[in-house]
Amino acid sequence: MSDYLLDVRDIGISFGGLKACQGLTLQVPARGLHGLIGPNGAGKTTAFNLITGVYQTQTGSVALDGLPVHQLAPHQIAKAGLSRTFQNIRLFGDLSVLDNVRLACHVRGSHTLIGTLFRTRSFVAQERAIRERALHMLDVFDLAGAADEQARSLPYGHQRRLEICRALATEPKALLLDEPAAGMNPSEKVALASTIRQIRDRFGLAILLIEHDMGLVMEICEHITVLDHGTPIATGTPRDVQRNPKVQEAYLGEPGAVL
Amino acid sequence: MSALTDLIPARRPPLLTSLTHGVALPVVYAIAIATLAQFAIGPALGEYWASVGVQVGIAVMLAVSLNIVNGFTGQFSIGHAGFFAIGAYVGAGISYYSALLIWGDPATLPHGAPLMWEGSPSGLFGAGDWIMVAGALLGGCVSAVFGYIVGLPSLRLRGDYLAIVTLGFGEIVRVLLQQTRPQVFEAQELRELAGADLFIPPLGGATGFSGIPKYATLWWVWFFVFFVVLFAYRVKLSSTGRALLSIREDEIASRAMGVNITKYKVRAFVLAAGLAGIAGALYAHSGNVLQPRDAGFQRSFECIIYVVLGGLGSISGAALAAVALSIMTEALRGPEPILENWPILVGLAIAGTIAAGVLRAIKNRGWRITFVLAMTPLSFLALGLASKLFNEVTGVNLAAYRMVVYALLLIVVMLARPNGLFGLTEIWEYFGPIRGPKPGSGNDDSRLAAEPPAPAPPAETQPSTPPTPPAPPTLPPGDAAP
Repeated sequence: MSDYLLDVRDIGISFGGLKACQGLTLQVPARGLHGLIGPNGAGKTTAFNLITGVYQTQTGSVALDGLPVHQLAPHQIAKAGLSRTFQNIRLFGDLSVLDNVRLACHVRGSHTLIGTLFRTRSFVAQERAIRERALHMLDVFDLAGAADEQARSLPYGHQRRLEICRALATEPKALLLDEPAAGMNPSEKVALASTIRQIRDRFGLAILLIEHDMGLVMEICEHITVLDHGTPIATGTPRDVQRNPKVQEAYLGEPGAVL
Repeated sequence: MSALTDLIPARRPPLLTSLTHGVALPVVYAIAIATLAQFAIGPALGEYWASVGVQVGIAVMLAVSLNIVNGFTGQFSIGHAGFFAIGAYVGAGISYYSALLIWGDPATLPHGAPLMWEGSPSGLFGAGDWIMVAGALLGGCVSAVFGYIVGLPSLRLRGDYLAIVTLGFGEIVRVLLQQTRPQVFEAQELRELAGADLFIPPLGGATGFSGIPKYATLWWVWFFVFFVVLFAYRVKLSSTGRALLSIREDEIASRAMGVNITKYKVRAFVLAAGLAGIAGALYAHSGNVLQPRDAGFQRSFECIIYVVLGGLGSISGAALAAVALSIMTEALRGPEPILENWPILVGLAIAGTIAAGVLRAIKNRGWRITFVLAMTPLSFLALGLASKLFNEVTGVNLAAYRMVVYALLLIVVMLARPNGLFGLTEIWEYFGPIRGPKPGSGNDDSRLAAEPPAPAPPAETQPSTPPTPPAPPTLPPGDAAP
């Protein structure tokens, strides 16, 4: 068993001739904060989709807390303790804010049709527990006042927050954040940085972060992996990565430029 | 906050409470509603409208059950009549042939009914009634099995592809029913049939299945309507229902949140098929000749209209659409019964309008919907009148064109309200309290200014027990950060 909570080794996928992601290896320890960066189209989101089972990896393996998950379906991976947010927010727009979070609690329960139709004791107990837990999560994220609102009607920033809240309600061991700062202004980004750290500390999670905003990534991540054209070109501490000539070339097109 | 599974045990209700709320009270309500329908509303309506009341109840069951697949889960099934017909033929076969074997002649009614009621097509609670109930439940089960079989291909299909599969299913059922053996009319003949002959059951084939005892009184139909609606509502308000709705909203996000979408799609199909099967069995006992085309596209289409018109996901909306359209069909068929009852319809409209006015005055909530509902009876009256006039002027009976009227209605509603008249909302929610204030109870900025982001607590705490920091983390603020 590895020392890492999230242990991704040599995963890859090709779509036809396009190598969308090749030979990606990254390890996130428990309570680690790992960044995944790269220019547009570098394959970051593809990597997320491979790790969370949306695509099946063609090579390598993904292990979560020692358990191999790369051959599981997305819902099984979620149950194993890996949760994510999406680059383009994917809330359940017609459902209420509370129901979005309650749905995420679903994965930790057991649901039978008989129990649902006849409201058995275990069903009622579980529904109560789910509601309580969902309200608690909303409270933590300062969204409790909007519990009955339609998720679609929330302002953009609140939608992002709700998506993180929903991801955490699945009780994950590791959280994958896909560009959480997209569309935020600089001051919101500063606040987001502290939020991400607080989430890590409060919920004891490993976090893997895709982000375009270099300032944010360099500030909060302990380790960074840089992708370009589907292949990892550098990995290390923010300082190492910043100095890496390959990274500078990938971002700026010529070696030696200051990032 | 501890994990969900740790929270559950302490929240178990007492067994007695659970049984009362889960099972006993619904049965009491169902009996009350059924009794009201049979002994109060039925006699008031008269024989003709009582029989319409039976058909209305069946339409409601179909609408509500289809809503589980098309409304909640967002899977477009257009073969619902297939399940309906399976239930109908199973129920009819059981009742007809057991009556033939026990009493010799299914047409002699009632079959030992202890509770006679004048005006009812048969007695209530006779042995035959219980055979029908058993047949309905069995028909529901058989339908549910077929729902499972049809649900399986929907693992990989969605949208129009799934629609084609379900359409094909309905057609298969229709053709298979056409190929069944001719109906057997003599008990002696039935006894002589060998087991091998029954491999293809004698369900009448293309000529239809007639002579089914009319056990489906208002009482039984509305008893079952109550349970179908209750079950659908309980599903909607459960984690299963949220899982179904999440599939409809966004399959990818749903899977990422841990919903086994395959399992839940199949579950939706099974439940909807089972309930449709029960509706079918009751329909078989309502005095109709069963025909293979009951499994055909036209009936499926009617079900879809109920759901799409009433609201994809709104149980009460779909039920209301089923009631309104069933009555409208009658109004288009022969406008006289509607026109004869004009005082009742006008009375309903006036009462509804007054109720809307009162609501407007006292809470300013729900009065619009009340007014719209109050206008529905008037629209029936107008429709009946128009139909009659049209018939007198042109000699054309509009009943033949009711599918055109349906289709026109659908076009209008789809243009005006793409999610159906009520969308996901239940009708009574229009009367409920106004929804909560905006996020962060009004003013994010002031709250965050008062509680600046606390420095992260030390990280050496055990990962398994999340530390509880003094203040809840102040998450992304509006623009209050430094």
